[in-house]
Amino acid sequence: MNTEDTSLRVFFESFELFADAAWSGTLLGLALGAMGVYIVLRRLVFLAAALGQASSLGVASAFWLERRLGLSPEHFPPTLGAAIAAAIAVMPAAFERKRAGAHREGLLGLIYLVGAAGTLALGTRIVQDLHDIDSLLLGSAVAVLPEQFRLVFVVVTLLVLLHALAWRGFAAVSFDRAGARVRGLPVRSLELVLLLSIALGVSVSTRVIGALPSFALSVLPALAATLVCANVPRALVLAGLLGAVSGFVGYVLAFWARLPVGAAQTLVAAGLAGGAWLFTASDWRRRSR
Amino acid sequence: MSKDTPRRSSVPVELTGLEAGYGGHGLLPAVDLEIESGQMWALIGRNGSGKTTLLRTILGLLPSVGGLVIRDKSSCVSYIPQRTDYDLAVPARVIDIVREGLDHHRSFLSPFFVGRHAADVQRALEETGTKELAHRRFRELSEGQRQRVLIAKAIVCDPGLIVLDEPTSAMDPLAERSMFELLDRLRRSRDLAVLVASHSMSMLPQYSTHAVLVDADAQQVVAGPIHEVLESEAFRRIYGFRAAAET
Repeated sequence: MNTEDTSLRVFFESFELFADAAWSGTLLGLALGAMGVYIVLRRLVFLAAALGQASSLGVASAFWLERRLGLSPEHFPPTLGAAIAAAIAVMPAAFERKRAGAHREGLLGLIYLVGAAGTLALGTRIVQDLHDIDSLLLGSAVAVLPEQFRLVFVVVTLLVLLHALAWRGFAAVSFDRAGARVRGLPVRSLELVLLLSIALGVSVSTRVIGALPSFALSVLPALAATLVCANVPRALVLAGLLGAVSGFVGYVLAFWARLPVGAAQTLVAAGLAGGAWLFTASDWRRRSR
Repeated sequence: MSKDTPRRSSVPVELTGLEAGYGGHGLLPAVDLEIESGQMWALIGRNGSGKTTLLRTILGLLPSVGGLVIRDKSSCVSYIPQRTDYDLAVPARVIDIVREGLDHHRSFLSPFFVGRHAADVQRALEETGTKELAHRRFRELSEGQRQRVLIAKAIVCDPGLIVLDEPTSAMDPLAERSMFELLDRLRRSRDLAVLVASHSMSMLPQYSTHAVLVDADAQQVVAGPIHEVLESEAFRRIYGFRAAAET
C-alpha cells in the first residue's frame, strides 16, 4: 500500500473530523452548480465574482463592527453581513437589464473592486481576524463549524426546493423575457427571486468555504453542463451534480495532496469543465466529418 | 389546452386611440383598429418608422403614451420576436422550445402542467411540420425550420392572436413563401388572428387580409383592408409603387 492510499484511508477513517467541511462543500457545490446555469447562460459570470467580493466585504464589515462596537457575533453574524452585502450587490443586475452591456458591466466592476479593496482595507483594522479574512478570500478553511454546516444544509435545501419548483419561470425570464411578459408571467418578481437566491447561495458559500471556490462552483460546473446537455433542465441537474462532485472531491484532493481546500475544489471544477469542453469539441469534429 | 379555455372572442385585440412612443412622447398618431379572428394584419413601413414600437406597445412590452389596448382575456397572445432576440447558446431541443409556450401566468409553479398538455405539444408540432425535428437541437436547425418551431411554440397555447416581428428577415424566397403559407394555413384552420411586422412586399399582399402602414416621419398611420392600404397615397409615397393585393 503506497502513501497516497494510506492518506486516503486515514481521511475516510477519521471522516467524522472532516465531515461537516466536506459535506458543506458538496451541498454548496450542488446549489451553486445548478444556479450557475443561469449565471453562465445569461453572461453574468462577472456578477458571480462581484457577489463573492461583496460577500467578503460583508463578512469583514461584521468582524469590524464586532470589534468596533463590541457586538457579539450573535448580534450581527458575519453570514448576515455577507447576505446583506450580496443582496445589495445583485441589484444592478436586477434593475439594469435594459441597459445591459457596458453600463451594467461597469457597475459590477465597481462592486467587485469595492468589495475586494474594502475587505483588504478592513483586514488591516481587524488583525485578530486576519486568518478568517484570508480563509474567506482564498477558501483555505479546512474546518467548518457545526452551526455553519446546519446553516448550509438549511439554505441549500431551501434553494434546491425553490429552483426545483420554479425553474420553468426562472428559465422563461432568463431566456425569453419578452415572451414571458406577453404570456403574463410575473417577470419582475421571478427575476428578483432568482437573483436574490443566487446572492444568498454565494454569500453563505463565501462565508463558509471562501470567495474563490464559491466563484468557481458558480461558473465551472454550469459551463461543463451547458456544453454537454441538450436542454436547460438536464443542464441544471448535471451542473448540480458536477458542483457537488467538485466540492467533495476537491476537499479529498486537498487532504491527499496537501493543497488549500478552495484551490483544490476550483481545480477539480476546472478539470470537469475542461473535460466537457474536450468532449464537445471531439463530438463536434466527429459529427462534422 | 383548447378544452380548458372558454370560447374566445372574435376580436382578440382592439386598439382605441392607441399612441405608441417613448418617455411620454408619441412617435405615431393615435391608432384605432380591431384585429378580428381569422384576419392577418401586415404591419409595414420603412426601417425606423415605428413598427416595432407599435408592436411592442400592443403587446404591453412598452407603456402606451395614450389610448387603450383591449385584449380578449379568454385566450392567450403569443409573440415571436426578431431572430436576433434568440440566444442559440441556450441548450434546447425543439420539443423544449415548444413546451415553453405552454406556461402562462403562474402555471410554471405546477410541476405537472406541461405533462398534462402533451397532446397540445404534439398537435403544434404536427401542424407546423416539425414533428420529426422534435428531439433535434434548436441551434442545429436552418432558419426556416427555426421559425416553424417558434410558430409551434406560439400556437401551443391555442392563442387568439400571434404577433411576429420580421419572421422572414434571414430567409431565402422559398423558405419565406413556405412560412407565409404556414401562417395562412394556421390562420384559416385555427381561426387565428395574426399580426406580422415585415418588409416582405412580395408576400404580404398575397397573404394579408389587412395592413397598418406606419410612418413616424410623416406622422401618418393608414390602417384597413390590404387593398385599401396598398392603393393609398401614403403607400405610394413610401414605397414608390402601388402593389396589388391578391383577391
